[in-house]
Amino acid sequence: MNWRSEAGRFFAFANRNVLMASRNVFFVFELAFWPTVGVLSIGLMTRFLELTPEMTAFLLVGTMALSTVQVCQLDVSYAVLFDVWSKSVKHQFLAPVGIRHLAFGSWVVGVARGLTVFSLQALLSWWAFGFDFFEAGILRLGAFLLGCFLTSGIVGLLVCALVVLFGTRAEVSAWATVNLVMVFCGIYYPVSILPDPVSTLAGAFPLTYFLDAFRSHYGFTAEFRYPLLTGFVLSALYLGLAHWALAAAVTRCRRTGLLLKLSE
Amino acid sequence: MPAVEVRDLHKTFRSGWFPRRVTHALRGVSLSIPRGVIFGLLGPNGAGKTTLLSILGTLLLPDSGQATILGHDVVREARAIRPRLNMASGNSNFIWSLRAPEILAFYGRLYGLYGKALSRKVDELVALCELEAYRKVPYHELSTGLKQRLALAKALVNDPELLFLDEPTLGLDPDISVRMRAQIGALRRERGTTILLTTHYMREAEELCDEIAFIKNGEIPARGTADALKRQIRIGDVIALRLDPASGEGLAELPGVLRCVAQDGRVECTVDSADKRLSQILSWLHEQGVVVRDVDVHEPDLEEVFVELAK
Repeated sequence: MNWRSEAGRFFAFANRNVLMASRNVFFVFELAFWPTVGVLSIGLMTRFLELTPEMTAFLLVGTMALSTVQVCQLDVSYAVLFDVWSKSVKHQFLAPVGIRHLAFGSWVVGVARGLTVFSLQALLSWWAFGFDFFEAGILRLGAFLLGCFLTSGIVGLLVCALVVLFGTRAEVSAWATVNLVMVFCGIYYPVSILPDPVSTLAGAFPLTYFLDAFRSHYGFTAEFRYPLLTGFVLSALYLGLAHWALAAAVTRCRRTGLLLKLSE
Repeated sequence: MPAVEVRDLHKTFRSGWFPRRVTHALRGVSLSIPRGVIFGLLGPNGAGKTTLLSILGTLLLPDSGQATILGHDVVREARAIRPRLNMASGNSNFIWSLRAPEILAFYGRLYGLYGKALSRKVDELVALCELEAYRKVPYHELSTGLKQRLALAKALVNDPELLFLDEPTLGLDPDISVRMRAQIGALRRERGTTILLTTHYMREAEELCDEIAFIKNGEIPARGTADALKRQIRIGDVIALRLDPASGEGLAELPGVLRCVAQDGRVECTVDSADKRLSQILSWLHEQGVVVRDVDVHEPDLEEVFVELAK
């Protein structure tokens, strides 16, 4: 295998996402408008409710996780959605590319856009509400962000699989899935307050552990033992499963003929 | 080794739940296409042309049967095939806001090109398909003709050994169609590319294809060169005669004459081969003392073959 050809395939998807992002005003909303609205509205709510700095940190960490994961997973989903919207799916799957190329190439752009969103929100939180995201330390923050980005990759791949399986009917999942995941992960509350079966289910989501680990640096007792380790192990497992799910969806799509219908 | 070898290929599509609709798109198609030819696949709408092309292009999995491309099985060895083939269709689409060189570079990278080789290939294809003046125009602002040319350029990005063209001149103006056909002919001539072409246009098939297969209801009832197809379905040539006296009585009994019809003062005889029968008919008429005032020989074109086969 020629590594430059291989790198070129990753770059193809990354470059395409960058070009698309640079030519669509909607992407500015994704990158700046909604994250700003998120931080300001949640931050102002903490003021109104006169919450302690710890509780403010709890909620702002959740807001930041939601925005970062959403923006990053959208980029992964775009790897298939752009082709579905432009009815050019067959060209992509006619070419000698694998799931890894489209997933990783677009994920890298998602990480870059996620870091931009995070920087914007961190700056706003510090300026408007005196909350310092870097207080936990660079390494812990880095581990938390990596956890968010891995979660994005998993959700993005699953969205791609749904779109390939069900066509444009499933495109709404690109925006809905991440919000559903966030409900289970305890974005604005500890998962221990969830009803029993749901609370157990929350333990199956890696982001639950990354949020738990990061919040423990802001005065909250960790609810899980070894949250970071558990989060990364689960992420690796789910990434493998999501990759397999998308590959299986593409194979099914080749069998049913949906791959052609998505190109008509 | 042939470029394409297909044996007893079946494909069924299922849709809906209640009632479950089943469409048999291919019913035991067998085909062999040698390297370096332009092979035409003709047939009415829904005959199975695109389905067959998609299976060969590894975009669709067959239910049963076997297909090999350049010696590789399309199901088990799809990865080995994909770098060596490409496809363009008359209704191709690409991402709306990307420009022609960006689209070509994207697919070039997917086919493993990088660096200067990629830039050279993009420039070469932009020039070949006369897209120079439209380098900065987003895809959605291109005309239909330019979009088709871009689709052909994209299909050449990996210098494919095997090229599938699915109705490449669909909806194009006649002058652009002529140029597109010239480019397709040049591909085979200059690069030795094997081309499998589906089309509705008989003239296109007759002009470009070395061999043609007619597909109908998922089966191939006839194949061969355009001339062989005409002979195979026995439409026959027509010899139209203006005679004095006008009656052509007895002509229908001559060997090789399939039927004779007298109308508007002319006698039209359908014969198996005008080359063989014309002199016989003229001799016989001479012997009978009939004066031949005018003779017109008409060979059937592929369109008539198509109509006959599609019945």
